[in-house]
Amino acid sequence: MKQGIKDGAIAILPLALGAAVYGFAFGLLAAQVGFAWWSVGLMSALVHAGSSQIVAVEQFASTGAVLGAVLAGAALNLRYIGIVASLSEMLDSLPLRLRLLAIHVTGDENWALTMARRARFPETGAPFLVGSGLVMISVWTVSTGLGAAMGAVLPDLERFGLGFAFTAAFIAMARGLWRGRAQALPWAVAAGATMVVVTLGAPKAYGIVAGAVCGLVVTGLIRRAQGAVR
Amino acid sequence: MTGAHWAVIGLLALAAFVIRVAGLIAGGRIRASRHAWILEALPGLIVVSLVASSLAGEPTATWIAAALALGVAVLTNHVIATMVLGVAAFATLQGLGL
Repeated sequence: MKQGIKDGAIAILPLALGAAVYGFAFGLLAAQVGFAWWSVGLMSALVHAGSSQIVAVEQFASTGAVLGAVLAGAALNLRYIGIVASLSEMLDSLPLRLRLLAIHVTGDENWALTMARRARFPETGAPFLVGSGLVMISVWTVSTGLGAAMGAVLPDLERFGLGFAFTAAFIAMARGLWRGRAQALPWAVAAGATMVVVTLGAPKAYGIVAGAVCGLVVTGLIRRAQGAVR
Repeated sequence: MTGAHWAVIGLLALAAFVIRVAGLIAGGRIRASRHAWILEALPGLIVVSLVASSLAGEPTATWIAAALALGVAVLTNHVIATMVLGVAAFATLQGLGL
């Protein structure tokens, strides 16, 4: 158990570093619209969903409407239904308290890293997920609070590829989850659908949900066709 | 800090947690049903969609860097190696003004 937590905590460090920079930038934004620095850290610890927090705070800043801001932020989090659902078997053996902790510390990065590693090493389980998740939520909480407290201006780190670091990491994780040609068509449809939705101007988070759903439909159709042939 | 600021924090935290719990309940139900294959297929589909969402509308240089990162991933199957070489390729292409 301890070894798994430690492995997860170490493996996630490069991604946590990237998240820290985004966290710092989000803290700045939140402080500018009236959130106290400590409340930004508190929000990060309680919500633990970067894009959702950013959108909710932006909406709140521009409209002042609490419910609209919360709904916009929450809608971006809908992909977590699928993400957490995919963890249900891994978390099954944990007591409820730990299971709730595990799903709270689950984010895109540590979830994808855990699933990719599990595909290679099936013994990878909840301790790895929790260890990597605890590092991510800690880094996110501290960096957002620091950003709000310091109020400094960041250099343009996007130019040096910070955003692309996450893209590259997810590409590597997709490679880890590749099982063979049967996945090719569903994956292509998922990628295509996501791109269409994002290109049409919808938020990326909606594109991800749309892509995953379309990919699932195609997988289901292929399974049905194969069943019919047999 | 006003009451509205507190309400945003409290309600957003509640919504985020409810969505995660809904996933946990849905996962259990799906696993017990004849649609258990969904849980096998979901991780790859979500990760591919994450990649696609970050490449949509990006310039050619980003796509080239992504293709190079994919090459590294296929050869090494290693997350950190892919991140390091992918970002190096991206920064080089940016530096070349592509």
